[in-house]
This record gives sequence, structure tokens and C-alpha cells, in this order.
Amino acid sequence: MIKQAILEAIGNLLASRQRSLLALIGIMVGAGAVIAMLTVGAIAREETARQFRAMGTDILLIRADSDQGLGNLPLAETEALPAQIRGLSLVAPFMLGGGQISAEGQSRSTSFLGVTESFAPVARVRLAAGRFISRHDRFEPFAVVGSALAEQLSTPFNRIRVGSNIRVGRYVFTVIGVLEPSLPSPMMPADVNDSLMVSIPNGRRIMSTPQLAWGVARAAPDADPDQVARAIGTALEPSMREGRVQVQSARALLAGLASQMRLFTLLLGAVGAIALVLGGVGVMNIMLVSVQERRREIGVRLAIGATRWNIQSLFLTEAAVLSLAGGAFGVLLGLAGAWGFAQMSGWAFVVSATAIPLGAGVSIATGLFFGFYPAVMASRLDPIVALRTE
Amino acid sequence: MLDLIDITKSFRTGPAETVVLNDLSLHVGEREFCSIMGGSGSGKSTLMNIIGLLDRPTRGQYRIAGEDVLAAPPDKQSSLRNRLIGFVFQSFFLLPRLNAWRNAALPLMYRGMPEAEAKRKACAMLERVGLADRMEHMPAMLSGGQKQRVAIARALVGQPKVLLADEPTGALDPKVAQEIMDLFLEVNRELGVLVLIITHDPHIAAQCPRQLRLGAGRIAQDLRVAA
Repeated sequence: MIKQAILEAIGNLLASRQRSLLALIGIMVGAGAVIAMLTVGAIAREETARQFRAMGTDILLIRADSDQGLGNLPLAETEALPAQIRGLSLVAPFMLGGGQISAEGQSRSTSFLGVTESFAPVARVRLAAGRFISRHDRFEPFAVVGSALAEQLSTPFNRIRVGSNIRVGRYVFTVIGVLEPSLPSPMMPADVNDSLMVSIPNGRRIMSTPQLAWGVARAAPDADPDQVARAIGTALEPSMREGRVQVQSARALLAGLASQMRLFTLLLGAVGAIALVLGGVGVMNIMLVSVQERRREIGVRLAIGATRWNIQSLFLTEAAVLSLAGGAFGVLLGLAGAWGFAQMSGWAFVVSATAIPLGAGVSIATGLFFGFYPAVMASRLDPIVALRTE
Repeated sequence: MLDLIDITKSFRTGPAETVVLNDLSLHVGEREFCSIMGGSGSGKSTLMNIIGLLDRPTRGQYRIAGEDVLAAPPDKQSSLRNRLIGFVFQSFFLLPRLNAWRNAALPLMYRGMPEAEAKRKACAMLERVGLADRMEHMPAMLSGGQKQRVAIARALVGQPKVLLADEPTGALDPKVAQEIMDLFLEVNRELGVLVLIITHDPHIAAQCPRQLRLGAGRIAQDLRVAA
């Protein structure tokens, strides 16, 4: 009986192909949006978790602010911080700027980082070749390049490697180190992979706003990063002539990201819900037309002994079959969309375990919800009136 | 078998009340074969709907085989229709997307009978009405007379007590109409089912052992012809 009912429903839906297709597309887009939302959310969560795992949750970002914008950190005092604050193991103040560089006729715009030798352990960057900037380098024209930048500046005939020359404005730097690729850190104001690193004195020469405004630090494994962050702020306050210090911990950033992610999920969820409602209205519309067209059939069925429930389930089965098919295509569409997103962003494609059952469930529920009213309408038809319909 | 006592049916159309059936009483015995004639608006169809449990009278009593069928709730009436009454309509009313045997088996499916058994019974009944070689045909591939035979098979497959036919030959040419009429007479004789035929055709009515004529909302004429 159930198999028969489903086969009959499919037959009836095929008989009015165009209308069925329209309702199907509505449900499909709705379910697809829900699936895409969940999967993209899962992909983004996974990626963020991966970045934070690589970066460590003990990282702290220091930023000096002034009334004109970025401020200046006192270099000596900042470097002396680990000795003063218990629970702070390493600190690396750095400058951030950007501009054009060229090598071998290749020109690029990139970020400049003016760094000290402690930057490498704090930011956890490793060298593929050569060495990092050391405190003895000072005004020596030495530079370290990030892996992506090295790749971009290389030509088939001339790879960027230790000993290559890179021109920045009037200055020519010699590459002393090339970094290994690393995951971009969500804490850092610039991607190390795509940066040119020089000593702080050289940074003051090549940057248009030569302020030592930034710093990264690591809290000791047993220390509370938020407490260390507060201690850094208090310790630096007296030596800041003007302006303030802001210290952000990975944990605070993580909380911020989580709330952003919630907003994003909510937004996509709203889009999915709207599409599903539209799809549902489509289902309702085709079911109502179908009921109208098949009044005589309903009359005949009632006359030969169908109960109200038989008639109701006839139309509900159609709505369920339609929305199930729409949901199935929607799952595929949503996964394809999320896969495309993963390909474009370069993030790892993961399927959230809840996405598929939820998408299918939501689309069937929508179909049944919007199919219910037409089905009840059909079952309430007066058989005499229904039979008289031409 | 059928007992209608003081049946009144009136419709309220605006301020006026139209009385279609006025204290109509009728008794039809088991195995009887009746025609019902009457001008348009004489209440033939209303009477048919009431007998077929598709409509309720405003007043009056109605029993089938002694059972008070008006007291039953709507879903019980569906099952009464399914068990007791077979319908045949002027324009056949076969379901266009079901083949001949599925159409004929429909009343059995609504009883919850397993498909194999329903198919067996439907095919036996189609054979009986002379459609042994048309079981798998879709209604669109059948002639008018064949469609009406499928409809008769559908009406009889559940072994009802009463066969109600509303102008069953109205859409058929005279030769086919006579074949269908012969089939009605045959199933009445052989299966013992009570047959009520509404017709405009005096030639059809003349072949019925009992001939009723409706007028002014009552039975105006009740003629029995010796077979």
C-alpha cells in the first residue's frame, strides 16, 4: 500500500512536470542553502581551529595607540618585560609597513616587518634556508623573505634564495634567509608568508610611518594569558609618553571570532530559511492547483470508499515525495557549493555530520508543513460537489 | 434491503427554501432491478446521492439491510459505501493514471486488502464483465463501452449489496448502451445484486422489472412489470 502510494505520487508529479519542477527547485535551493551554511560553517571552524593549534593559544599581541593612530613602544622597556613579568616567556616588538619591492625585474607590493631576533621563536616561523635577522645586523642591508613572497618573486630562470638581491626604493637588500611556509596566524596584523623582514633600524629607513607600534609575546605554559596581558599593559603604561597600550590574547580573539561566526551562521541560516519558506509556498501552490484539478478524482475515490485520511495521505505523500527529492538535490547542491568555497579559499573540505540529515529533515518537514493545508482542503471536499466538477 | 422513510431534502438558497424531496418513502427488496426516471429537477440525483450515502437528507430515516446508516459518522459512512454500495457514473470516472485492473481493484485497496489478492479479484471481475484481454490497458486506450465495463467491474469487485448507476448509458451509442444494459441485467440475475438505474432513456427503463418515476419530490409512479 505504501509502495503503491509512493509510485502513484511519483506518477502524479510527473504528470504535471513543469509545476513539480518549480516547487522542487524551491525546496532544493532552500535545503542547499541550509547544507551550504552548515558545511561552510564547519569548514571555517575547522580552519580556525587549525590556525589556532598551529599558533598556540598562549600568544599575545601588543599594540601601541596614540591620538593620531598608532603609537610607539619603548624598545628597551619592551624587550626587558620577560624579566619583570612572571609568566611572560618571550616578547618581540616589531614595526609594520608596506610598499613596492622588486627583484630580477619582478615588482610586487608587500608588507615590511621590522623585527628583532626574538621574532622568529615568538611567531614560530622556521627557516627553509639561511638564518634569521640577528641583533648584530643593525644597519647591514640584510632581509629575510616569507615563503609566498619568495615564490612570487622567483622566475623560472632565477629563484629567490640566500644571496639574491631585493630592491626596496633606494636600498638594495641581500636575502639572508627564506622562511618555511606557515599557516597565516589570525592574531598577526600581517601574513608572515607574504612579508619582507628586516632589522628595526633598516625598517625605520624603508617605512613611511616608522613607528614601533606592535609586539608579539608568549605566555608561559602554566600562566593565564589574560592575566599576563593585563600585566604587560600595566608595566608599559608609565614609560609611554603619550598614548596607550592594548594587549590582546588569543583567547579573546577566539571569542570574537566565535561571535562573528555565529553571526555569519545566523545570516546564512536566515537565507536558507527564506528559501525554504519560498520552496514551501511553491509546494503549497502546486498542491492547491493539483487538488483543484483532481476534484473529480477525489470525488470518485470518496464514493468508492476512501476515507478523509486516505485522501489526505494521498496528497501528503505527493508533498513528501516532492520535498524529499528537492531535499536530496539540495544536499548535493549545498555540498557542491561548500566544496567550491573550500576550493576557492584553499581550506580543507569537511562535511559536518549533522548537515545531511538536518537538510533532508528540514526539507521534508517544510514539504509536509506546506502540503498539509492543501491535503486537508482535499479531504474536506464534498463528494457530490467534487463529482459534479467538469 | 433499502428502506427510505419520509425522506425530505431541502436546500436553502437565499431567502427561499427549495424542497427537492418531500416526504419520500421507498422500499426496494433484495435482488430487485429498478429504473428511476423523472424530468430534470425532479430530485433523481439527490435521491441517488442520499441512497449512495454521499448526501444526508434534511429529515427522514434510511436503512440498508436493517442498519440505520444515517447515524454513522463520516468515516464509518466511507466504509459503509465501500462495503455496501457500488457506483457507476455516466462519464465512467476512471482514474486516468491507473490501468484497468488497478482501477477495478481500488475499492479493495481502500479496504486494506493486500495487492496480490486485490489484483486477483479485480482480474476475475474484469473477466466476468468481458475484458479478459484488457487488464493492463490504460483508460485512454479503451472505448467508451470498455471504460464503462471497467467501471462496472470496479463497482462490483467489493461484492456490494447495491449497485447505483447514474445515467450509465448516457454517453454511449445505442448498440453499446444495450450491451451495457444486458450486462446489468446479467449481474443482477447471476450475482443477486440490487440494481438502481437512473435514466432518461425510455428504452432502457422499459427493460427494468420495476420502473419508478419521480415527480414533485415523491415517487409519482411505481410500475412492476412481470418478467
